[in-house]
Amino acid sequence: MSTQTASEATSPADLAPDLATASLAMARRFQAGATMWCVSPSWPHHARHVAVEFVHPVIVGKRALPALIAPGREPVAHLRASVEPGDLVVAIAPAADPEVGDLMRRAHAWGVETAWIGAGPRPPAGAANHVLWLGEDDRAPHDGRFILLYHLLWELTHVCFEHRGNLQEPPPVCEGEVCITCSDQGELAEIVSHLDGEARVRTATGMRTVDVTLVDDVAPDDLVLVHAGTAIARVDGEERR
Amino acid sequence: MSDEATDFLYPMVDGTTETDVDVLLDDLAASARGKAGHSAQLTDTTLDALDGQLDVLAEAMAERFLRGGRLLTCGNGGSATDAEGVAELFAVPPGQARRLAARSLVADVSVLTALANDIGFEAVFSRQVIAHARGQDMIMGFSTSGNSANVIAAFERGAEAGLLTVGLAGYDGGAMADCDALEHCLVVSADSVHRIQEAQSATAHELWRRIQQRLDATDAA
Repeated sequence: MSTQTASEATSPADLAPDLATASLAMARRFQAGATMWCVSPSWPHHARHVAVEFVHPVIVGKRALPALIAPGREPVAHLRASVEPGDLVVAIAPAADPEVGDLMRRAHAWGVETAWIGAGPRPPAGAANHVLWLGEDDRAPHDGRFILLYHLLWELTHVCFEHRGNLQEPPPVCEGEVCITCSDQGELAEIVSHLDGEARVRTATGMRTVDVTLVDDVAPDDLVLVHAGTAIARVDGEERR
Repeated sequence: MSDEATDFLYPMVDGTTETDVDVLLDDLAASARGKAGHSAQLTDTTLDALDGQLDVLAEAMAERFLRGGRLLTCGNGGSATDAEGVAELFAVPPGQARRLAARSLVADVSVLTALANDIGFEAVFSRQVIAHARGQDMIMGFSTSGNSANVIAAFERGAEAGLLTVGLAGYDGGAMADCDALEHCLVVSADSVHRIQEAQSATAHELWRRIQQRLDATDAA
Protein backbone atom coordinates (compact mmCIF):
# COMPACT_ATOMS: atom_id res chain seq x y z
CA MET A 1 0.00 0.00 0.00
CA SER A 2 1.18 3.45 -0.82
CA THR A 3 -0.11 5.14 2.32
CA GLN A 4 2.00 3.34 4.97
CA THR A 5 4.13 6.02 6.56
CA ALA A 6 3.80 6.62 10.28
CA SER A 7 2.79 3.00 10.88
CA GLU A 8 6.24 1.83 9.79
CA ALA A 9 7.51 2.92 13.22
CA THR A 10 6.19 -0.31 14.76
CA SER A 11 4.76 -2.97 12.48
CA PRO A 12 3.32 -6.35 13.49
CA ALA A 13 6.62 -8.00 12.42
CA ASP A 14 8.51 -5.78 14.90
CA LEU A 15 6.42 -7.28 17.71
CA ALA A 16 7.50 -10.86 16.90
CA PRO A 17 9.60 -11.38 20.09
CA ASP A 18 6.81 -9.94 22.28
CA LEU A 19 4.20 -12.11 20.55
CA ALA A 20 6.42 -15.14 21.20
CA THR A 21 6.76 -14.37 24.92
CA ALA A 22 3.05 -13.62 25.31
CA SER A 23 2.02 -16.80 23.49
CA LEU A 24 4.22 -19.04 25.63
CA ALA A 25 2.80 -17.42 28.77
CA MET A 26 -0.74 -17.96 27.50
CA ALA A 27 -0.10 -21.59 26.57
CA ARG A 28 1.30 -22.22 30.07
CA ARG A 29 -1.73 -20.60 31.70
CA PHE A 30 -4.17 -22.55 29.51
CA GLN A 31 -2.30 -25.74 30.33
CA ALA A 32 -2.78 -24.97 34.02
CA GLY A 33 -6.55 -24.45 33.54
CA ALA A 34 -6.90 -20.74 32.75
CA THR A 35 -9.91 -19.07 31.20
CA MET A 36 -9.15 -16.21 28.80
CA TRP A 37 -11.29 -13.05 29.16
CA CYS A 38 -11.44 -10.77 26.12
CA VAL A 39 -12.20 -7.07 26.63
CA SER A 40 -12.67 -4.28 24.11
CA PRO A 41 -14.99 -1.44 25.14
CA SER A 42 -14.08 0.59 22.03
CA TRP A 43 -14.16 -2.25 19.49
CA PRO A 44 -16.34 -5.06 20.94
CA HIS A 45 -16.09 -7.03 17.69
CA HIS A 46 -12.34 -7.48 18.26
CA ALA A 47 -13.00 -9.04 21.69
CA ARG A 48 -15.54 -11.38 20.09
CA HIS A 49 -13.07 -12.31 17.33
CA VAL A 50 -10.38 -13.27 19.87
CA ALA A 51 -12.85 -15.39 21.85
CA VAL A 52 -14.24 -17.25 18.83
CA GLU A 53 -10.71 -17.88 17.58
CA PHE A 54 -9.70 -19.72 20.75
CA VAL A 55 -13.01 -21.51 21.39
CA HIS A 56 -13.61 -22.68 17.83
CA PRO A 57 -10.29 -22.93 15.97
CA VAL A 58 -10.32 -22.54 12.19
CA ILE A 59 -7.86 -25.43 11.90
CA VAL A 60 -9.64 -28.74 12.42
CA GLY A 61 -8.10 -30.81 15.20
CA LYS A 62 -6.71 -27.94 17.29
CA ARG A 63 -8.04 -28.01 20.84
CA ALA A 64 -10.90 -25.74 21.89
CA LEU A 65 -9.76 -23.40 24.65
CA PRO A 66 -11.95 -21.57 27.19
CA ALA A 67 -12.21 -17.94 26.06
CA LEU A 68 -15.03 -15.50 26.77
CA ILE A 69 -15.91 -11.89 26.11
CA ALA A 70 -16.32 -9.59 29.09
CA PRO A 71 -19.72 -7.85 29.07
CA GLY A 72 -19.62 -4.35 27.58
CA ARG A 73 -21.22 -2.75 30.63
CA GLU A 74 -19.07 -2.59 33.78
CA PRO A 75 -16.42 -5.07 32.63
CA VAL A 76 -14.37 -4.51 35.81
CA ALA A 77 -17.27 -5.46 38.08
CA HIS A 78 -18.06 -8.54 35.99
CA LEU A 79 -14.48 -9.74 35.89
CA ARG A 80 -13.98 -9.08 39.61
CA ALA A 81 -16.81 -11.53 40.23
CA SER A 82 -15.74 -14.14 37.70
CA VAL A 83 -11.97 -14.32 37.20
CA GLU A 84 -9.94 -16.92 39.06
CA PRO A 85 -6.24 -16.75 39.93
CA GLY A 86 -4.22 -17.93 36.94
CA ASP A 87 -6.72 -16.63 34.35
CA LEU A 88 -5.81 -14.47 31.35
CA VAL A 89 -7.17 -11.08 30.28
CA VAL A 90 -6.63 -9.85 26.72
CA ALA A 91 -7.67 -6.25 26.07
CA ILE A 92 -7.84 -4.51 22.71
CA ALA A 93 -8.14 -0.86 23.60
CA PRO A 94 -6.57 2.60 23.35
CA ALA A 95 -4.09 3.48 26.11
CA ALA A 96 -6.50 6.16 27.35
CA ASP A 97 -9.39 3.72 27.94
CA PRO A 98 -10.15 4.32 31.65
CA GLU A 99 -11.99 1.03 32.22
CA VAL A 100 -9.23 -1.05 30.66
CA GLY A 101 -6.56 0.88 32.59
CA ASP A 102 -8.44 0.16 35.83
CA LEU A 103 -8.92 -3.49 34.87
CA MET A 104 -5.25 -3.98 34.06
CA ARG A 105 -4.18 -2.49 37.43
CA ARG A 106 -6.53 -4.71 39.41
CA ALA A 107 -5.69 -7.83 37.44
CA HIS A 108 -2.37 -8.02 39.36
CA ALA A 109 -4.27 -8.26 42.66
CA TRP A 110 -6.52 -10.97 41.17
CA GLY A 111 -3.54 -13.12 40.10
CA VAL A 112 -4.41 -12.68 36.44
CA GLU A 113 -1.91 -12.37 33.56
CA THR A 114 -2.68 -9.56 31.11
CA ALA A 115 -2.03 -8.68 27.48
CA TRP A 116 -2.95 -5.30 25.97
CA ILE A 117 -3.18 -4.79 22.20
CA GLY A 118 -3.38 -1.28 20.75
CA ALA A 119 -1.88 1.41 18.53
CA GLY A 120 -0.81 5.03 18.89
CA PRO A 121 0.05 6.57 22.28
CA ARG A 122 1.29 3.77 24.56
CA PRO A 123 0.03 2.83 28.02
CA PRO A 124 2.51 3.49 30.86
CA ALA A 125 5.38 1.04 31.31
CA GLY A 126 4.26 -2.08 33.14
CA ALA A 127 0.56 -1.41 32.51
CA ALA A 128 0.11 -5.03 31.42
CA ASN A 129 2.28 -8.16 31.48
CA HIS A 130 2.38 -8.11 27.68
CA VAL A 131 1.96 -4.82 25.81
CA LEU A 132 1.60 -5.42 22.06
CA TRP A 133 1.59 -1.94 20.57
CA LEU A 134 1.67 -0.70 16.99
CA GLY A 135 2.87 2.73 15.89
CA GLU A 136 0.78 5.91 15.76
CA ASP A 137 -2.01 5.06 13.36
CA ASP A 138 -5.81 5.24 13.44
CA ARG A 139 -6.17 2.60 10.72
CA ALA A 140 -4.70 -0.36 12.62
CA PRO A 141 -8.01 -1.27 14.35
CA HIS A 142 -9.77 -1.39 10.96
CA ASP A 143 -7.33 -2.58 8.28
CA GLY A 144 -6.58 -6.10 9.51
CA ARG A 145 -3.45 -5.44 11.58
CA PHE A 146 -5.12 -5.87 15.00
CA ILE A 147 -6.66 -9.07 13.62
CA LEU A 148 -3.19 -10.21 12.53
CA LEU A 149 -1.81 -9.65 16.05
CA TYR A 150 -4.42 -11.82 17.76
CA HIS A 151 -4.33 -14.42 15.00
CA LEU A 152 -0.58 -14.71 15.69
CA LEU A 153 -1.23 -15.07 19.44
CA TRP A 154 -3.56 -17.97 18.66
CA GLU A 155 -1.22 -19.59 16.12
CA LEU A 156 1.85 -19.37 18.39
CA THR A 157 -0.07 -20.54 21.48
CA HIS A 158 -0.94 -23.73 19.61
CA VAL A 159 2.68 -24.18 18.51
CA CYS A 160 3.60 -24.08 22.21
CA PHE A 161 1.20 -26.96 22.93
CA GLU A 162 3.40 -29.12 20.69
CA HIS A 163 6.36 -28.43 23.01
CA ARG A 164 5.11 -30.01 26.20
CA GLY A 165 8.41 -29.73 28.03
CA ASN A 166 8.11 -25.95 27.96
CA LEU A 167 4.53 -25.77 29.21
CA GLN A 168 5.51 -26.03 32.87
CA GLU A 169 6.13 -22.65 34.49
CA PRO A 170 9.81 -22.77 35.60
CA PRO A 171 10.28 -22.42 39.39
CA PRO A 172 11.28 -18.89 40.46
CA VAL A 173 15.03 -18.33 40.75
CA CYS A 174 16.51 -16.29 43.62
CA GLU A 175 19.17 -13.94 42.29
CA GLY A 176 21.07 -11.11 44.00
CA GLU A 177 20.53 -9.91 47.53
CA VAL A 178 16.74 -9.67 47.59
CA CYS A 179 14.58 -12.55 46.55
CA ILE A 180 11.29 -11.27 45.17
CA THR A 181 9.57 -14.56 45.85
CA CYS A 182 10.63 -15.07 49.43
CA SER A 183 11.08 -11.57 50.79
CA ASP A 184 8.19 -9.73 52.28
CA GLN A 185 8.04 -6.93 49.75
CA GLY A 186 4.95 -4.86 48.97
CA GLU A 187 2.11 -6.68 47.31
CA LEU A 188 -0.90 -5.17 45.51
CA ALA A 189 -4.20 -5.97 47.22
CA GLU A 190 -7.87 -5.19 46.58
CA ILE A 191 -10.09 -4.56 49.60
CA VAL A 192 -12.97 -7.03 49.79
CA SER A 193 -14.43 -6.00 53.17
CA HIS A 194 -13.19 -4.23 56.28
CA LEU A 195 -14.09 -3.83 59.96
CA ASP A 196 -12.35 -2.03 62.84
CA GLY A 197 -8.94 -1.51 61.28
CA GLU A 198 -8.76 -4.92 59.67
CA ALA A 199 -9.60 -5.86 56.10
CA ARG A 200 -10.01 -8.96 54.02
CA VAL A 201 -8.03 -8.39 50.82
CA ARG A 202 -7.56 -10.18 47.55
CA THR A 203 -3.95 -10.62 46.35
CA ALA A 204 -2.18 -12.55 43.60
CA THR A 205 -1.25 -15.15 46.21
CA GLY A 206 -4.71 -15.50 47.73
CA MET A 207 -7.11 -13.95 50.23
CA ARG A 208 -5.71 -12.63 53.50
CA THR A 209 -6.53 -10.41 56.46
CA VAL A 210 -4.41 -7.28 56.84
CA ASP A 211 -4.15 -4.29 59.17
CA VAL A 212 -5.50 -1.12 57.53
CA THR A 213 -5.04 1.38 60.38
CA LEU A 214 -2.21 3.16 58.48
CA VAL A 215 -4.42 4.04 55.52
CA ASP A 216 -7.46 6.33 55.79
CA ASP A 217 -10.99 5.38 54.98
CA VAL A 218 -10.59 2.25 52.93
CA ALA A 219 -13.65 0.99 51.09
CA PRO A 220 -14.38 -2.23 49.20
CA ASP A 221 -12.62 -2.37 45.78
CA ASP A 222 -9.88 0.10 46.86
CA LEU A 223 -6.35 -0.94 45.93
CA VAL A 224 -3.68 -0.87 48.64
CA LEU A 225 -0.06 -1.92 48.94
CA VAL A 226 0.45 -4.57 51.62
CA HIS A 227 3.77 -5.12 53.41
CA ALA A 228 4.29 -7.48 56.35
CA GLY A 229 0.57 -7.93 56.91
CA THR A 230 -0.14 -4.21 56.89
CA ALA A 231 -1.64 -1.97 54.24
CA ILE A 232 1.03 0.74 53.96
CA ALA A 233 -0.36 2.90 51.14
CA ARG A 234 -3.38 3.44 48.98
CA VAL A 235 -2.82 2.87 45.29
CA ASP A 236 -4.82 4.86 42.82
CA GLY A 237 -4.35 5.02 39.09
CA GLU A 238 -2.21 8.13 38.99
CA GLU A 239 0.12 7.06 41.81
CA ARG A 240 0.80 3.76 40.14
CA ARG A 241 1.88 5.59 37.04
CA MET B 1 9.86 -52.28 31.75
CA SER B 2 7.83 -50.81 28.90
CA ASP B 3 8.31 -47.29 27.59
CA GLU B 4 4.75 -46.37 28.51
CA ALA B 5 5.29 -47.19 32.16
CA THR B 6 8.31 -44.95 32.59
CA ASP B 7 7.67 -42.05 30.21
CA PHE B 8 5.83 -40.00 32.76
CA LEU B 9 8.75 -40.25 35.18
CA TYR B 10 11.26 -38.91 32.68
CA PRO B 11 9.52 -36.23 30.65
CA MET B 12 12.90 -34.69 29.70
CA VAL B 13 14.01 -37.69 27.63
CA ASP B 14 10.85 -37.64 25.52
CA GLY B 15 11.70 -36.10 22.16
CA THR B 16 8.58 -33.94 22.17
CA THR B 17 9.26 -32.33 25.55
CA GLU B 18 12.47 -30.36 25.12
CA THR B 19 12.87 -27.64 27.71
CA ASP B 20 15.21 -25.17 26.02
CA VAL B 21 12.85 -22.22 26.20
CA ASP B 22 15.10 -19.82 24.29
CA VAL B 23 15.11 -22.07 21.23
CA LEU B 24 11.31 -22.22 21.33
CA LEU B 25 10.95 -18.44 21.74
CA ASP B 26 13.32 -17.85 18.79
CA ASP B 27 11.30 -20.27 16.66
CA LEU B 28 8.03 -18.60 17.66
CA ALA B 29 9.36 -15.12 16.87
CA ALA B 30 10.69 -16.27 13.49
CA SER B 31 7.30 -17.81 12.72
CA ALA B 32 5.48 -14.61 13.73
CA ARG B 33 7.81 -12.52 11.55
CA GLY B 34 7.20 -14.79 8.56
CA LYS B 35 3.41 -14.79 8.97
CA ALA B 36 3.29 -11.00 9.45
CA GLY B 37 5.32 -10.61 6.25
CA HIS B 38 2.99 -12.96 4.40
CA SER B 39 -0.05 -11.02 5.65
CA ALA B 40 1.33 -7.66 4.49
CA GLN B 41 2.33 -9.12 1.14
CA LEU B 42 -1.10 -10.72 0.60
CA THR B 43 -2.80 -7.41 1.41
CA ASP B 44 -0.63 -5.62 -1.16
CA THR B 45 -1.22 -8.17 -3.94
CA THR B 46 -4.96 -8.31 -3.14
CA LEU B 47 -5.41 -4.53 -3.30
CA ASP B 48 -3.46 -4.48 -6.58
CA ALA B 49 -5.57 -7.26 -8.07
CA LEU B 50 -8.88 -5.72 -6.93
CA ASP B 51 -7.96 -2.11 -7.79
CA GLY B 52 -10.32 -1.76 -10.78
CA GLN B 53 -13.18 -3.65 -9.08
CA LEU B 54 -12.85 -1.46 -5.96
CA ASP B 55 -13.11 1.72 -8.05
CA VAL B 56 -16.32 0.57 -9.75
CA LEU B 57 -17.78 -0.61 -6.43
CA ALA B 58 -16.84 2.57 -4.52
CA GLU B 59 -18.54 4.66 -7.20
CA ALA B 60 -21.73 2.58 -7.04
CA MET B 61 -21.83 2.57 -3.23
CA ALA B 62 -21.14 6.30 -2.93
CA GLU B 63 -24.03 6.91 -5.31
CA ARG B 64 -26.34 4.76 -3.16
CA PHE B 65 -25.25 6.46 0.09
CA LEU B 66 -26.10 9.81 -1.56
CA ARG B 67 -29.59 8.46 -2.25
CA GLY B 68 -30.01 7.52 1.43
CA GLY B 69 -28.91 3.91 1.06
CA ARG B 70 -27.74 1.95 4.12
CA LEU B 71 -25.08 -0.74 4.34
CA LEU B 72 -26.05 -4.08 5.92
CA THR B 73 -23.21 -6.51 6.76
CA CYS B 74 -23.13 -10.21 7.66
CA GLY B 75 -20.87 -13.23 8.14
CA ASN B 76 -20.28 -16.18 10.50
CA GLY B 77 -17.78 -16.65 13.36
CA GLY B 78 -14.65 -14.54 12.87
CA SER B 79 -16.24 -13.20 9.69
CA ALA B 80 -19.25 -12.07 11.76
CA THR B 81 -16.92 -9.96 13.88
CA ASP B 82 -15.22 -8.59 10.76
CA ALA B 83 -18.68 -7.69 9.37
CA GLU B 84 -19.43 -5.86 12.63
CA GLY B 85 -16.11 -4.05 12.36
CA VAL B 86 -16.94 -2.80 8.85
CA ALA B 87 -20.39 -1.56 9.94
CA GLU B 88 -18.64 0.24 12.81
CA LEU B 89 -16.04 1.77 10.46
CA PHE B 90 -18.74 3.16 8.13
CA ALA B 91 -21.07 4.42 10.88
CA VAL B 92 -18.59 5.67 13.49
CA PRO B 93 -15.31 6.26 11.65
CA PRO B 94 -12.13 7.60 13.26
CA GLY B 95 -11.24 11.28 12.83
CA GLN B 96 -13.28 13.64 10.68
CA ALA B 97 -14.59 11.12 8.14
CA ARG B 98 -18.30 11.33 7.34
CA ARG B 99 -20.71 8.99 9.12
CA LEU B 100 -22.60 6.63 6.85
CA ALA B 101 -25.62 4.55 7.78
CA ALA B 102 -24.44 0.98 8.35
CA ARG B 103 -25.57 -1.88 10.56
CA SER B 104 -24.47 -5.47 11.05
CA LEU B 105 -27.01 -8.27 10.91
CA VAL B 106 -25.05 -10.26 13.51
CA ALA B 107 -25.42 -7.77 16.37
CA ASP B 108 -28.67 -8.98 17.92
CA VAL B 109 -28.44 -12.41 19.53
CA SER B 110 -32.20 -12.51 20.14
CA VAL B 111 -32.97 -12.07 16.45
CA LEU B 112 -30.29 -14.59 15.40
CA THR B 113 -31.41 -17.27 17.82
CA ALA B 114 -35.09 -16.68 17.08
CA LEU B 115 -34.54 -17.15 13.36
CA ALA B 116 -32.13 -20.08 13.79
CA ASN B 117 -34.49 -21.84 16.19
CA ASP B 118 -37.74 -21.23 14.31
CA ILE B 119 -36.61 -21.47 10.68
CA GLY B 120 -33.00 -22.61 10.43
CA PHE B 121 -29.53 -21.15 10.37
CA GLU B 122 -29.66 -20.54 6.65
CA ALA B 123 -32.35 -17.89 7.22
CA VAL B 124 -30.65 -15.82 9.94
CA PHE B 125 -29.53 -13.07 7.55
CA SER B 126 -32.01 -13.37 4.67
CA ARG B 127 -35.04 -12.87 6.94
CA GLN B 128 -33.43 -9.72 8.32
CA VAL B 129 -32.77 -8.51 4.75
CA ILE B 130 -36.47 -8.99 4.00
CA ALA B 131 -37.37 -7.02 7.13
CA HIS B 132 -34.94 -4.12 6.62
CA ALA B 133 -34.27 -3.74 2.94
CA ARG B 134 -35.09 -0.64 0.96
CA GLY B 135 -34.24 -0.57 -2.73
CA GLN B 136 -31.26 1.78 -2.38
CA ASP B 137 -29.57 -0.30 0.39
CA MET B 138 -26.46 -2.48 0.12
CA ILE B 139 -25.66 -5.91 1.57
CA MET B 140 -22.03 -6.94 2.23
CA GLY B 141 -21.26 -10.53 3.21
CA PHE B 142 -18.00 -12.08 4.47
CA SER B 143 -17.08 -15.74 4.05
CA THR B 144 -13.51 -17.04 3.83
CA SER B 145 -14.63 -20.18 1.96
CA GLY B 146 -17.17 -18.25 -0.12
CA ASN B 147 -19.62 -21.04 0.67
CA SER B 148 -21.62 -19.80 3.70
CA ALA B 149 -25.22 -20.71 2.83
CA ASN B 150 -26.79 -18.02 5.02
CA VAL B 151 -24.64 -15.30 3.42
CA ILE B 152 -25.51 -16.52 -0.09
CA ALA B 153 -29.21 -16.54 0.92
CA ALA B 154 -28.85 -12.91 2.06
CA PHE B 155 -27.47 -12.00 -1.39
CA GLU B 156 -30.39 -13.76 -3.09
CA ARG B 157 -33.05 -11.96 -1.01
CA GLY B 158 -31.09 -8.72 -1.35
CA ALA B 159 -30.86 -8.94 -5.13
CA GLU B 160 -34.62 -9.59 -5.32
CA ALA B 161 -35.21 -6.40 -3.34
CA GLY B 162 -32.92 -4.36 -5.60
CA LEU B 163 -29.98 -4.12 -3.17
CA LEU B 164 -26.40 -3.76 -4.30
CA THR B 165 -24.64 -7.01 -3.27
CA VAL B 166 -20.97 -7.26 -2.23
CA GLY B 167 -19.24 -10.47 -1.21
CA LEU B 168 -15.76 -10.93 0.28
CA ALA B 169 -14.47 -14.45 -0.22
CA GLY B 170 -11.17 -16.36 -0.02
CA TYR B 171 -9.62 -19.36 -1.78
CA ASP B 172 -11.06 -19.32 -5.34
CA GLY B 173 -14.30 -17.56 -4.32
CA GLY B 174 -16.23 -20.80 -3.65
CA ALA B 175 -19.98 -20.66 -4.23
CA MET B 176 -19.87 -16.85 -4.17
CA ALA B 177 -17.91 -16.89 -7.44
CA ASP B 178 -20.84 -18.69 -9.12
CA CYS B 179 -23.65 -16.83 -7.35
CA ASP B 180 -25.85 -14.99 -9.89
CA ALA B 181 -27.33 -12.82 -7.14
CA LEU B 182 -23.87 -11.47 -6.20
CA GLU B 183 -22.96 -8.42 -8.23
CA HIS B 184 -19.53 -7.62 -6.73
CA CYS B 185 -17.39 -10.58 -5.65
CA LEU B 186 -14.05 -9.56 -4.07
CA VAL B 187 -11.78 -12.61 -3.79
CA VAL B 188 -8.65 -12.79 -1.64
CA SER B 189 -6.73 -15.53 -3.43
CA ALA B 190 -5.13 -17.41 -0.52
CA ASP B 191 -5.73 -20.62 1.38
CA SER B 192 -5.17 -19.64 5.03
CA VAL B 193 -8.35 -18.55 6.81
CA HIS B 194 -6.39 -16.15 9.03
CA ARG B 195 -4.47 -14.46 6.23
CA ILE B 196 -7.71 -14.22 4.17
CA GLN B 197 -9.54 -12.46 7.04
CA GLU B 198 -6.68 -9.99 7.51
CA ALA B 199 -6.62 -9.12 3.79
CA GLN B 200 -10.44 -8.92 3.68
CA SER B 201 -10.42 -6.30 6.43
CA ALA B 202 -7.73 -4.34 4.58
CA THR B 203 -9.83 -4.58 1.40
CA ALA B 204 -12.99 -3.36 3.15
CA HIS B 205 -10.98 -0.52 4.68
CA GLU B 206 -9.67 0.50 1.26
CA LEU B 207 -13.22 0.38 -0.14
CA TRP B 208 -14.40 2.63 2.71
CA ARG B 209 -11.52 5.07 2.03
CA ARG B 210 -12.44 5.32 -1.67
CA ILE B 211 -16.14 5.86 -0.88
CA GLN B 212 -15.19 8.69 1.50
CA GLN B 213 -13.00 10.22 -1.25
CA ARG B 214 -15.86 10.11 -3.76
CA LEU B 215 -18.33 11.65 -1.34
CA ASP B 216 -15.83 14.42 -0.55
CA ALA B 217 -15.39 15.05 -4.28
CA THR B 218 -19.18 15.23 -4.72
CA ASP B 219 -19.39 17.78 -1.89
CA ALA B 220 -16.69 19.91 -3.50
CA ALA B 221 -18.37 19.84 -6.93
